Amino acid sequence: MASAASRGARWRSAAFGYANLVPFIFFALFPFYFMLVTSLKSNAELYNLKAVPFWIQTGLITDHYRYLFERTDFLTWMRNSLIISVVATGISLVLAILAGYSLARLRFRGVGAFGTAVFITYLVPPTLLFLPLSQVVVWLGISDTIWALIVTYPTFLVPFSTWLLMGYFRTVPREIEECALVDGASRMQTLLRIVLPMAVPGIVCAALFGFTLTWNEFIYALTFVSQTTAKTAVVGVTSDLIRGDIYYWGSLMAGAVLASVPVVICYVFFLDYYVSGLTAGAVKG
Amino acid sequence: MRARSRREFLRVASGATAGMASWLALGRAPAFAQKRELTFLSWNHFVPKSDDELRKQAEAFGKQAGVTVRVDTIAHLQLDAKFAAEAQSQSGHDMIRTHGAVPFVYENALADVGDLVDKLGKQYGGWYPFAAEIGQTGSGWRAVPWFWISFPATYNQAHFKKAGLETPRTWAELLKHGKILKKQGNPVGIPISHCSDTHSTYWSVAWSYGAKVLEADGKTPAINSDKTAEVVEWYKELFKEAMEPEVLSWDDASNNRFILSGKGSWIHNPISPYNAALANKQPIADDINHHNSPAGPAGTHSGPPILGLAIWKFSKNVELAKEFIQFLYRKENFDAWIVASNAFNHPPLRHFADHPIWARNPKFAMLPKEAEFAHARGWPGKPNDAVGRVESNYVLADMVAKAVGGMPTKRAMEWAQDQVARAVKGQLKA
Amino acid sequence: MAVGSRAFEAAGLGPTGRLARVHEWWEQEHVFGYGLILPALLLLACLVAYPFGMAIYFSLSDYWVGSPGAFVGLANYREILGNEVFRQTVQNSFVFTAIALTFKTVLGVWLALLLARNLRFKRLLRGAVLLPWVIPTALSTLGWWWMFDSLYSVVNWTALRLGLMSPPGPNWLGQAGYAMAAVIAVNVWRGLPFFAITVLAGLVSIPREYYEAAEVDGAGSWGRFRHVTLPLLKPVLAVVILFSTIFTFSDFNIVYVLTRGGPVNSTHLFATLAYQVGLNGGNLGQGAAISLFLFPMLAAVVFMQLRYIRKE
Repeated sequence: MASAASRGARWRSAAFGYANLVPFIFFALFPFYFMLVTSLKSNAELYNLKAVPFWIQTGLITDHYRYLFERTDFLTWMRNSLIISVVATGISLVLAILAGYSLARLRFRGVGAFGTAVFITYLVPPTLLFLPLSQVVVWLGISDTIWALIVTYPTFLVPFSTWLLMGYFRTVPREIEECALVDGASRMQTLLRIVLPMAVPGIVCAALFGFTLTWNEFIYALTFVSQTTAKTAVVGVTSDLIRGDIYYWGSLMAGAVLASVPVVICYVFFLDYYVSGLTAGAVKG
Repeated sequence: MRARSRREFLRVASGATAGMASWLALGRAPAFAQKRELTFLSWNHFVPKSDDELRKQAEAFGKQAGVTVRVDTIAHLQLDAKFAAEAQSQSGHDMIRTHGAVPFVYENALADVGDLVDKLGKQYGGWYPFAAEIGQTGSGWRAVPWFWISFPATYNQAHFKKAGLETPRTWAELLKHGKILKKQGNPVGIPISHCSDTHSTYWSVAWSYGAKVLEADGKTPAINSDKTAEVVEWYKELFKEAMEPEVLSWDDASNNRFILSGKGSWIHNPISPYNAALANKQPIADDINHHNSPAGPAGTHSGPPILGLAIWKFSKNVELAKEFIQFLYRKENFDAWIVASNAFNHPPLRHFADHPIWARNPKFAMLPKEAEFAHARGWPGKPNDAVGRVESNYVLADMVAKAVGGMPTKRAMEWAQDQVARAVKGQLKA
Repeated sequence: MAVGSRAFEAAGLGPTGRLARVHEWWEQEHVFGYGLILPALLLLACLVAYPFGMAIYFSLSDYWVGSPGAFVGLANYREILGNEVFRQTVQNSFVFTAIALTFKTVLGVWLALLLARNLRFKRLLRGAVLLPWVIPTALSTLGWWWMFDSLYSVVNWTALRLGLMSPPGPNWLGQAGYAMAAVIAVNVWRGLPFFAITVLAGLVSIPREYYEAAEVDGAGSWGRFRHVTLPLLKPVLAVVILFSTIFTFSDFNIVYVLTRGGPVNSTHLFATLAYQVGLNGGNLGQGAAISLFLFPMLAAVVFMQLRYIRKE
């Protein structure tokens, strides 16, 4: 009797949960679905006012994808994006781990000020920052190569990652570190062998975040790189497929869908880490 | 042991550095190993075949001059950010394609091309003055006029026929016809929004009514006038009775979609929708036709976009770029390029203007006539960076949009007058 | 875990000689501390502080793209303050940020509560919800643009078919109110996942016992939320709101793609107006002044929030 009632209550609660999630899922996924449908539609149907926008009536076509692969350097752009995102995220993580540990765990003069300074850099609006930055890129002799992006992306990744990892390092019990130090381990060894392994979820979270931001970055990628073979996916798709007063909606959407795939895959694999990483990072931040 | 590990470390570290360096260098090696490279930053042409032809000619020039020519094309709205970054960092492409007031805004950063303008002008029967003006700054020529894009009327013959109407010869007639066409379910469409087509049409209408934005001196605001009031009133009525409110949200592509969808009956636009319909084999191509831009009480005037070729001062290939430009202006090359664009690119040089393509397709026959009443933006003054700012801040579009949205015409014009004054105030000191 | 000192000695780092002195110096807490932040600091100094300094200089000079200018003091700031378009932009930015942030906070917490339930397909659901955050904004906004298109809008198409609107339906990007709503909707769409997942992370970390204790005290589900969940979520919320405020205030892409500030500047934000004035118009000095206008205030707010978070 009681169990039947509680089963009923559980069922109701589950139904409530799903029912309330439906609008959110719809809101989140519909634009993506719409982009997908658009990318598989023939132009004639796309511009037909009488057509139903939700699905494809005149047959699914892959022309837009073929255009993307045959008439543009889409694969090169994807490769560039991948290299840039991985390397820039990697560099940023190393810097952020060192800085984050130092700011979270070590006591020295000005530690609070440094922490705030690192964070404040996050506030600097990039809209015009890219102009002076483009000068720096030229001085470094790396303009118009993917290195221009690998070097500049850490500027917005390091502050966030440092911040996140600071929170994470704080959750590692001090005693464990102190034990290692008493045992004669150097500080660096303590960091690398004791603290770091315990901070893996935080690091994965920062990496994922960094990967997303770099993959999606637009203005630096547009201005620091011009040759088609060095473009990133996002810039390549928007700069090569937007042709003034005629839009290639089909291939534009095809490019958008495909360019999202790598990031989506990353999240599928690391979602749990992301959640648990954020937990510590954000809560103790 | 310790020493060894330190040596080890040094060895590994230096090896890594060297490896890194060589990898870095590898990415850049071709630049050193290759022959000289000339780079050109242009837009994605609205008619893609035009870019194909441009690249073909660039390659031909490269072969002839023993250099490589790289043509990078990007979406037109992205160009401004690129130009700014290149001018700021003093590095980037050798040549750029200019639009609007770019030659004036970058007056100090672009190389003088006066010699080239003279030479080409003499060679090919002279420049159309309206086209030439876009490159002539106070301190000399900063751009060679490349081509202009005629801004005729594009209309749907079937809709006009159904309503029993002739094509409008004046803007007032367009308003009259438009009311009928809207009732028929086929409104006309002129954007009143933050896009560049809005400017092109506004200038055309305003001049036809004798209205100005700046006086002939190029710096005295003159938008607040009775003539402008007439223009605004015309817009208001057209908006209410011949158009749909959607024109307030349009971008440069919207009016193309509007006519290609079969809904719209008349737009003021270059011939790109017709060309796109031909290229995509859309049946509506048969219904689309063009006629000359309408007239007003002060005659017929038109403000087509005029594009130019410019060379950065910092370029190490200024002379080479000039040679390349001359190559593009060879009769056979320029002709081929016009053909590739299917009559979209209009020549700024008189000799190039009689080209068989205009005669070949009756739908293009009226296009060369557009040159007779075209002016550069800012007319009766000369174009300058303040005019460019009036456009980039969408002052003209916003003035009309405010009036259309219910603000008294007088107040909308006063607002615009203030904005124009601000644009002039910030004028660049060359 | 038992990494003894001998193991480290074997690695060749035992304390003798000059190296030992270096080692000892390096092992001091403050030296090590400074040493570790040095690389990050160097990077930020060269690649953020320098350009930032330049941007400040731009804003105090009549700098033009491609031609350096002279120092003019606060003239640019005075000029933009006198311009009605800028004042409207300030107002837009606050409206945009306040509304978007409210929606993101309320919906984000609600969504997080839903996702925290023990549901089937938990991973799938969480992944799906996260998608908008993951897709490149520059591209997804184009999709939204197509959805709001004046002629082909799927939103209007649906609403008209369902009889929710009278034809032709709202002109999404052409009327001030609707355009702002559209821009906010896209911003919420994009920012919600970040909110929800982060709050979810906070929820997961709340010990179950707290809830059980509250239940024993006879608290209903609202009571549990008010007295257990919300107070414990406060630090997480503070961080997320902080980050989201920054993201939202400095939004560029959504407005630039959807409306370019129109209709009649009713959706211009700091970033888009700065871009228009500084890059399209060439007046770099004024553009910089616009984009830097809020920086001191924002910095102050963040500074205070950070102190609050640290104390919690």
